[in-house]
Amino acid sequence: MATIVTGEGGNAVKGVIFNIQTFSTEDGPGLRTTAFFKGCPLRCAWCHNPEGLSPKPQLIWHAARCIGCGECLLSCPNSALTRRPEGVVIDRRKCRACGTCAGVCPAAALEVVGRVISADWLAAELARDVEFYRSSGGGVTFSGGECLAQPEFYLATAGLLRAAGIHVALDTSGFAPSPVFDRAVEACDLVLFDLKLIDPDRHRRATGVDNRLILENARRLAASGRPFWVRFPVIPGYTDDDENVRAVSEFISREMPGAERVDFLAYNNLCESDYQRLDMPYPLAGRGLLSRADMDRVLAVAREAGLDPVPGGALAVDASGGGRPPSAADDRKLNGGTLQ
Amino acid sequence: MVELWMPSPELSPRVKRLREEYWSFYERDYFRNEVMAFTTGTDWDTVYNPVNWGVVPEIFPFIPSIVDSLLAGATVVPLPEGFWERSIAMRRALFFNCVLKDHLPVQILDGELIVGGQFSTALSRCLTREEAARFRPAVDRWFKDLVALNAEAVGNTGAIPGHIIPNYPKVLELGFSGIKAGIEEEMSQETDPEARESLEALAVSCDAPRILSERYAAEAERLAADPDTPAERQAELREIAAICRKVPWLPAETFHEAVQALWMTHMLVMAAESYPGAGLSYGRIDQYLYPYYRRDLDEGRLTRDRAAEILQCFWIKHNYAYDYQGRIGANQGITSGFGQLVTIGGCGQDGEDASNELTWLILDVIEKMNLLEPKPNVRLHAGTPDDLLDRVVEMVAEAQGSPFLLNFDENAIRGLRWQGLPEERLWDYAPVGCLENTLQGDDRSGTVDVNLNLAKAVELALNNGVNMVTGTRIGPATGRPESFKTFDEFYAAVKRQLLALIDRLLACAAEADRIRATWEPTPYLSTIVDGCVESRRDVTAGGPRHSYITVEGVGLATLADSVAAVKKLVFDERRVGMAELVRALRADFDGLENLRQLLVTRGPKFGNGDPYVDDIARDLSEFWTTEVFRRRSPATGRRFRGGYLSWNYWIAYGPLTASTPDGRVKGRPLSNGVCPCVGQDRSGPTSVVHSVGALNLETAPNGASHTMSFSRSVLRDPEHRKKFAAFLRAYGRLGGTALQINVIDPETLREAQRNPADYSNLLVRVTGYNAYFVSLGKAIQDEIILRESHCF
Repeated sequence: MATIVTGEGGNAVKGVIFNIQTFSTEDGPGLRTTAFFKGCPLRCAWCHNPEGLSPKPQLIWHAARCIGCGECLLSCPNSALTRRPEGVVIDRRKCRACGTCAGVCPAAALEVVGRVISADWLAAELARDVEFYRSSGGGVTFSGGECLAQPEFYLATAGLLRAAGIHVALDTSGFAPSPVFDRAVEACDLVLFDLKLIDPDRHRRATGVDNRLILENARRLAASGRPFWVRFPVIPGYTDDDENVRAVSEFISREMPGAERVDFLAYNNLCESDYQRLDMPYPLAGRGLLSRADMDRVLAVAREAGLDPVPGGALAVDASGGGRPPSAADDRKLNGGTLQ
Repeated sequence: MVELWMPSPELSPRVKRLREEYWSFYERDYFRNEVMAFTTGTDWDTVYNPVNWGVVPEIFPFIPSIVDSLLAGATVVPLPEGFWERSIAMRRALFFNCVLKDHLPVQILDGELIVGGQFSTALSRCLTREEAARFRPAVDRWFKDLVALNAEAVGNTGAIPGHIIPNYPKVLELGFSGIKAGIEEEMSQETDPEARESLEALAVSCDAPRILSERYAAEAERLAADPDTPAERQAELREIAAICRKVPWLPAETFHEAVQALWMTHMLVMAAESYPGAGLSYGRIDQYLYPYYRRDLDEGRLTRDRAAEILQCFWIKHNYAYDYQGRIGANQGITSGFGQLVTIGGCGQDGEDASNELTWLILDVIEKMNLLEPKPNVRLHAGTPDDLLDRVVEMVAEAQGSPFLLNFDENAIRGLRWQGLPEERLWDYAPVGCLENTLQGDDRSGTVDVNLNLAKAVELALNNGVNMVTGTRIGPATGRPESFKTFDEFYAAVKRQLLALIDRLLACAAEADRIRATWEPTPYLSTIVDGCVESRRDVTAGGPRHSYITVEGVGLATLADSVAAVKKLVFDERRVGMAELVRALRADFDGLENLRQLLVTRGPKFGNGDPYVDDIARDLSEFWTTEVFRRRSPATGRRFRGGYLSWNYWIAYGPLTASTPDGRVKGRPLSNGVCPCVGQDRSGPTSVVHSVGALNLETAPNGASHTMSFSRSVLRDPEHRKKFAAFLRAYGRLGGTALQINVIDPETLREAQRNPADYSNLLVRVTGYNAYFVSLGKAIQDEIILRESHCF
């Protein structure tokens, strides 16, 4: 077992996470446990982890679990819950996410997403699967939200894990002050760097933030000597046009030639119900998945620009049956949902 | 969509045809391996003993009619002179040889390279009138007790044939002639007349395979002489005839001889025990067949392709064990498995890897044949080469449904060491049936003889010893539940009830063991199980060097989760009153869904790596397994040992086990093997492995059945398969003894859509995003199903 030193000599820095995912097969090499930090400065239209956007804990209601007993309605100290024909409705202006209702709900239909925890606790939790990391060349991945929005928490937790000999990967948008970014890179073994759009205006429109800092940090990462992968989300109507694909590919080829791997991840739309539960509008509502033809086109453009990207993510199934269905024998096959 | 049980297109025309012939049950009027009954012709004869079928409760209502109808249709076998003056074992030996000589049909199917077709029998027990007058009432009394125990869902038990690995390598090395010579040598030194008689029964039984093989040789010669037989086949038949004249009477010298000897010997065990193969296992076939394979290859007598074809012909044979079900519409047994287990891979004497070319060839045969039998079990250990593990993972990923069990050497061996088996033999263990670990050649561990419903203990503790479903007192009065002042008082009551259940069921098991040991010797099998000659005792009477009776625990997680829920919610947090809980259980939570939900969502659940409940599960597992290990069956001295294999009882006992404090409603299944309760493992597969690993399974040396389900996409490409292989390696370091991987298909997802409560742990994951399948909207679920449908 890995030994996580806690208490004195450990670290009691606190932070907010919204999920710990074991048996992660898509977040870096080997089998990993992924810690999802809560809070993100970006507002990407296609964000598939809407719980990661707000840094604060949030209450959600799971319709499928609710048995309609009504115990929650009476329990709320802020009278934030009402019952309507469509189910339990949360008044977001009143709800403090105090968790009282979640505590009384017998069916666990109400849940506070996001909890404040210490680096000690998180590191110990993340070290549990060390046997799986060792057998697979895996480790822990910090993801989000944006981990670098809670830099001290990330640094403290990553430090504890690396001291125990556990491989640490940082999955980041790259949107953080450069000194913070540099320290964060140094504190891990591998960076999974997201690159979305090269044109600054388009980047601002799609994500809400400027990309100059991101591109600057990308160059710093390339110069750092730290191993890194680049991940490009292929989002229909946002990032998948030839112009952007070419620009991204050329940027990677030119500025980040040391990338160990480049993933082209097709957009997936499985998060719609999460948006609903958070009472947030889903900007991409009703949008279908990328077609195989579009993905092939995107990959071809990237290859022209000198990249050899690894395709992943979800693709639309050709309902007409005309396309060749993916076969299990396919190497690096594009694939839909991963169940475990 | 790929159809289940499709063969590989690469099979040779011969094998393809033989495989299709097997599946054409309704068309092949010329050959069906249906049960043939043979009687001594006495009015009091028995050709079917319910004691052998005590663990199949679904046939209990039909047993009287099976007994009568088989006897009514039985062929009368003329008996040799002096028959009735001999011991039962000797009568059984003589009777078997008569059946083989003159009555069992002999038939060679077109194109087959391995011969021996009819082996389903119902043989006379060869009892005298006086013996029958003692045997039959004993069986009737025992059966009545068993039916009651089953109706109370305490469990079931019997003295079950099969479930053993005979010393097949000895047959290949010495032949039955050599084995017989050894027995005769012992006889010459034996002065006790009774012991001499039992040795003589074994000596006579050594002739059995020769008698039948000679008939197959004659039939092959007859067909070879038929001018209508193509010349090429004539040559093959002459070779088959020569082989059958030689083995298994004489030592095998070639690969083809070894495989033919193996099948004939194996098939006759099924015939001698009148049991269609369940659990009769080969052990490490890639180890003991390898020298024959290697030598033939080196000396140019054999090619890899020819060896594959011989093995494929051998493979098909085992499936004819299902023929007896054909007429009762059981679809040739596709829904069940008989578990004629072959074991491949694993470690050698010094922990090094023992796999060889034949291991790989057998994997190819398994893949190409894609048949239910024989069931493959692959032994994995720290030294399993990466390429072999990758091949196994590839086969798991591509499996169309054929069961494929993985056994973890280090954990299995730890249990056998705890059991006290000889240290120098442990590395060479092999499973029988499904995953039940035994030694090879000298170990009968009665691995499915007793099936105990562990979950019943919590019901009895909460109802003062009275069955909540039937109202019958079946346990001691441990006090009204409201009177428990502390958790420890409640827990002590659970353990007392568990002990009472154990004693009740083991008494019935011991009686089954006594009945079989007294009345049902199987001298033929005893010739090839070491210890029987030395001890002068039959394989059924504690003769093998290692002889145990295994108690398989059913519902461990249901029990542990129930105890944990009471501990946490009733005693620790005082959130639920004991009286309120018991009322709810009696009412099956009718109108009390709030309370039930609380128990489900707030009760700690085994399978999540939560020490609160995992510690309870380990304590209970160690408790009952060490308790059974203290007990022996008086008639044979066979010691009881624990294990976890729930067959279908985890479902069958659901309606007979009251609602439980884990929130399970009466009627719903209990937990299976060492699996978490259905849908309660919500923390991912690695957490399940931690929980199973925390059980300290060495006290359950039989081994523990564990099934995990994964989606095809987890295994979709070489990168993910590598990760999965690493998962299996970590499982070996942390987890249980035996694992079956189920690859989820779209139909399962549709089922999850219909019954979301059972599938709350089913996680859908796409690149950085994950969701519980059942929490997704229907449209998205449909889309995932559509995607998964294209995953083949």
